[in-house]
Amino acid sequence: MSDHPKTMAEKILSRASGKSSIAGDYVWAVPDLVYLNDLMGPVALSVIRKIGIGKINYGGKLIFIVDHIYPPKDVSSANNIKIIREYAEENNFVFIQGGEGIEHTVLIEKKLIRPGDLAVGTDSHTVTLGAVGCMGVGMGITDVSAIMALGKNWFLVPESIQIDLIGRLRKYVSGKDIILSVLKILKEDGANYMSMEFHGEAIRHLSIDQRMAIANMTVEAGAKAGMIEPDELVGRFFDIDEEDLKNVRSDEGSHFAQRVDIDLDSIGPQIAVPYSPANVHDVKEYVGVRVDQVYIGNCANGTITDLREAAEVLRNRTVAKGVKLIIVPGSRDIYRQALKEGLIDVFLDAGAVISPPNCGACAGLHMGVLGDGETAISNTNRNFKGRMGSPESRVYLANTYVAAAAALDGRIIDPEASL
Amino acid sequence: MKGRVFLIGDNIDTDVIAPAGYLHLGIPALRDHVLEAVRPDFHTLVRPGDIIVAGKNFGYGSSREQAPAVLKDIGISLILARSFARIFFRNSINIGLPLGIIKDLNSVKDGDIVDYDIESGKLYDDSGNIIALFAGPTGPLSEILAEGGMVNFIKMKLGIK
Ligand code: SF4
Repeated sequence: MSDHPKTMAEKILSRASGKSSIAGDYVWAVPDLVYLNDLMGPVALSVIRKIGIGKINYGGKLIFIVDHIYPPKDVSSANNIKIIREYAEENNFVFIQGGEGIEHTVLIEKKLIRPGDLAVGTDSHTVTLGAVGCMGVGMGITDVSAIMALGKNWFLVPESIQIDLIGRLRKYVSGKDIILSVLKILKEDGANYMSMEFHGEAIRHLSIDQRMAIANMTVEAGAKAGMIEPDELVGRFFDIDEEDLKNVRSDEGSHFAQRVDIDLDSIGPQIAVPYSPANVHDVKEYVGVRVDQVYIGNCANGTITDLREAAEVLRNRTVAKGVKLIIVPGSRDIYRQALKEGLIDVFLDAGAVISPPNCGACAGLHMGVLGDGETAISNTNRNFKGRMGSPESRVYLANTYVAAAAALDGRIIDPEASL
Repeated sequence: MKGRVFLIGDNIDTDVIAPAGYLHLGIPALRDHVLEAVRPDFHTLVRPGDIIVAGKNFGYGSSREQAPAVLKDIGISLILARSFARIFFRNSINIGLPLGIIKDLNSVKDGDIVDYDIESGKLYDDSGNIIALFAGPTGPLSEILAEGGMVNFIKMKLGIK
């Protein structure tokens, strides 16, 4: 069995479980890293208390990171942060205070994970780590508590879908449009319980930021993990040589349950319309839809690449009267870089408000929640009913150019036709 | 067990089940908002023993365990669906909320009073006819459910009384 060609997911779970495994096997695996945020951390600790163990049996890296509601908006959210901070300090776990950035963004930016790692987070967008070839798997708090208590947890080794990317992206088309095009094909559950693996010659033309946008929304097709085959760019970023990277990539002849081909030359700007991120259409079909709010940020698309794209659209222009434009740099470093490049000035001149790095209104938490009947366009990842606030509000998802451009006139435009 | 059926559609997501804006306040604060975007009357109608019968991909979206937790807390005793989203499936079993994947379903309407037996995976109408067959979890999940959830399973593994 040991020379059975393996997919990335099979390799990673084989290593983490110490047992050569293939899709369909159940394994007990030890993640390399586990991280909890301010919304889920306190609940996980209450489960740990319920179990009644004195010490944590997990030997890997354990990180508590504050990002969802920061700065705290009320007493409960302040208490939540206090609970995990005190716990982390008492037990010598890493604690990252709010303001550093959104969890998945920070983990990649600060190189806290590496290609080939198995990471578990208390958040479904843990899949974002797949941008650099790390198997990021989202779990609930009891499952994460189980890892803390038992040192490991069970995994079903997933079947994999191969997504082959060829061609080059056009101007005004980005990583977001690649994943939206994939969701158009796979729909909400097309990758449920599966791992999505992105291959193809087009990958080398995609920045890590664009890869984050892609990996981030693989969970919108139900994927357990979504990984982009790491190439030299990722190797340079982590200082890993080609030989070691090869061990992370899937083997020649490994088994894929399905294959999807995406020709980047053929895709234009896409838009996911209410109420599903897999309800994807060409932007041109929705030109003219009025918006009350434009939200740019979140764990996948609050990168410096996104802020540059937004600034390109907004430079020397102003937001339509009455439209709310909220821009959220994904991390402190991204914020600082944007300041250095003068992007923040561009945003302020245009009439935007800049939020500190946090999850903000991406999940309807604070700082940009939508009111009854309001419509937003956002470069985030979910547009479920009520996701950004009122159950009577509507959210359209698109790339950063499209979102920013909608602020200019208060209506959705097609940047390929109108910028 | 006997209860009322709440019939809902495909891809019911976790933001609809447990809106994120109330998560930081805990389960009691979520009760009045559970499923509000699709069934505003749900929280006033649901009683212990009631069940949800859904389409495919129930629990789509986020990892929040509060989604199955608030459904269990408010009285839902079984969720049947054509399929479940991965994280929701694990979370439900972990907290001891039984799930069943529908194998065969005759007509069932919203508001019907049904009888059900989780062990054998059968749903009956009020005259005792079988109206649906469903399958519970397999693999490690069945062991966890047998212990009544993950907390008990861990205690058993660690020998904690
Ligand atoms: S930015 Fe949005 S999607 Fe990302 S972790 Fe925060 S709430 Fe979740």
